[in-house]
Amino acid sequence: MSNNKTNPNGSDPILCQKKPWDSNDNSVWLASTISLLRNVEKFKFPAKLEKGRQQQLIALASKELLSGNLLKDPKLHSVEQISPIHKQFLVEHFLSTLNFQQAHSGEAFILEESGLLLATLNIHDHIRLHLIDCKGELETSWSKLVEIETGLGKYVTYSFSPKYGFLTSDFNQCGTGLIISVFLQVPGLIHTDRLDDVLESVIDESLVVSGIQGNPTEIIGDVLVVQNNYTLGVSEENIISSLRSLTTKIMLEENSAKHKILHEGDPEIKDRVSRAFGILIHSYQIDAIEALNAIGLLKLGVELKWLTGLSVRDVNKLFFNCRRAHLLQQFDAEPKQEEIGHKRAEYIHKVLKDVHLTI
Amino acid sequence: MTLDPFENDAEQESEEEEFERPLECSECKRSIAVHYTEIVGKNISHVYMCSECPILRHRLHGTPHIENMESQTGIGTGLACGNCGTTLDAIRLGTPLGCNVCYEVFDAVLLSEMVAARKIPPRITNGTKKNATLHRGRSPGEIQEISPSLRLLALNEALNEMLKTEDYEQAAWLRDQIKALTEKKGEVTNEQ
Repeated sequence: MSNNKTNPNGSDPILCQKKPWDSNDNSVWLASTISLLRNVEKFKFPAKLEKGRQQQLIALASKELLSGNLLKDPKLHSVEQISPIHKQFLVEHFLSTLNFQQAHSGEAFILEESGLLLATLNIHDHIRLHLIDCKGELETSWSKLVEIETGLGKYVTYSFSPKYGFLTSDFNQCGTGLIISVFLQVPGLIHTDRLDDVLESVIDESLVVSGIQGNPTEIIGDVLVVQNNYTLGVSEENIISSLRSLTTKIMLEENSAKHKILHEGDPEIKDRVSRAFGILIHSYQIDAIEALNAIGLLKLGVELKWLTGLSVRDVNKLFFNCRRAHLLQQFDAEPKQEEIGHKRAEYIHKVLKDVHLTI
Repeated sequence: MTLDPFENDAEQESEEEEFERPLECSECKRSIAVHYTEIVGKNISHVYMCSECPILRHRLHGTPHIENMESQTGIGTGLACGNCGTTLDAIRLGTPLGCNVCYEVFDAVLLSEMVAARKIPPRITNGTKKNATLHRGRSPGEIQEISPSLRLLALNEALNEMLKTEDYEQAAWLRDQIKALTEKKGEVTNEQ
C-alpha cells in the first residue's frame, strides 16, 4: 500500500497530497492548523492501552471516519505500512508539532484525499483531528472539525467530565482539547528588530509564540507560530477571537515594517536580502534551516519588488519543498544522507534560475 | 532505514539532523530548552528536555527529585490510579495520563500542576470551589457555530484603533481587507 518506493509521479497515496502548499499565495498569514483531541470512554489512553484494545479502538473510530459520510475519500494507513520518510513528510505537510515520526505499532493515520485533514489514531490521544487551513478561515475550519467530531460522536462516547471537559492524555490540553496554531511569516518585523517590542505590546497570557519547531527562542524562516495557551477554562470562541485579534495586530505591524523598509530603502536590509539570494543560488550544499532563513528574506525581497521572476506563491512552495522529506520525495532513489544538502542546493538553483535582483 | 534521523549513530549526526530533532522533550510535552549530551566511554547519548525537567535536575545534581517535590506538596508518592496503574511519580515526571479515571484520582495534583504551569486562566481558578466546573467550552454532541464575523470584528476593532491614532495607511489596508471579506460573502456593507 503506502510503503512502496518514493514515486515522483505522485501515484503514492500519501505523497500526492501536496495540493494545499502548491497554490499558497499568502503573504504574512502563511497558514493555520487546528487540532481537536478526543479520547473514547472505557478505553485506557494510548500510553496504557493494551495491543488488542488498540486494534479495537482503530476499528471503532475508523469505521465511521472511513464511511465517506464525514470525510472525503479518506484512506487508512497503519503505522507499520508507512516508512519513516513518509511519516516525516506528513509531519512537514501538516505543520505538526506532534512527533509521530517515532510512531509505534498499534497507531494509525487517516488521510483525506484533499490533503487538508489528518486524523491520527492512538498517537498520544485516541483520536486527533488535524486540519490545515491556508485561507485564514479559522471559523469555517472549526465548524468542519465539529461536524466530523459530532458525526463520530454518534458512534463513540468521548471521555468527558463536567469539571475538566474533554479528557486528554496530556492534562494540559483537556477542556476544549482544541489547539490552534497560526503561522505568520514576519521578515519585516524580524529584520528591523521590532518583533520583541511588538510582541510585548500585543501578546497576553492566553497565547504563546514559538518557532516552527516549537522552540520559542529559535525563529526559523521568519515564521512565528502563535498558539492558544489555554484549552481549559476558555470557550472555543474565546480561543479563536483572541487569536484573531492578536494576529490582526501583528499583520498590521508587519505591513507597516515592510512599508518603512521600502520607503527608507534601508541598505542593511537590502544587503541581507541580496546575501540571502546569493546563498540560495550559489551554495553547493545547504542545510534546511539555513535555506528556510534565506527564503524568509527572499520573500521580503519579492514583496518589496527587489527581485523579479518569482511570485509569493513560488516562494511559499519553495519554503515547503526545501524541507527534508518534501525534498527527498522528488527523487526516484533516495540520496545518501551526505548528499541531501547538495540535492537541496540543486533544487533551489533550479527554482531560482530566472530570478534577478533589481537593487 | 538510514533516513530516519533517530536511528543514526550519534557521531554521524549532521546539521541536517539537527534540524530534524524532536520538537519536544522525549519524556514530557513541553518544548525543548536543553540539549543534554552525556559521554561515557565510547557511548554518546543525547537527551532533549525542557528547562524545568526533573530529569535534568536529577542528572545535574543527582538529587532525588521526587522526594523534594513530595515534601513541597505534602502529598504521598504511593498514589496510583487503580484503573491503569499510572503513578503520581510518573505524572510528576511528565508522562501522559493513562485513563480518564486518572483525572479523578489525581484531581488535586493535576489542578495544582495546571495552575503552576499557567494553563488555566487565573479568573477561572480564583475563588472557585473545589469541585467547581472549570470547563467553559462545548459539551459532547453540542452544536456550536462560531460566527465567521469574528474575523470582521477583529479587523473592525483594529480599524478603529488605527483611525484613533490617525494611521490612515494601515486603516486603508484594513478597509480593503474588510471589503474583500464582506464582498466575498455577498453581503452589503454600509461604510458610513
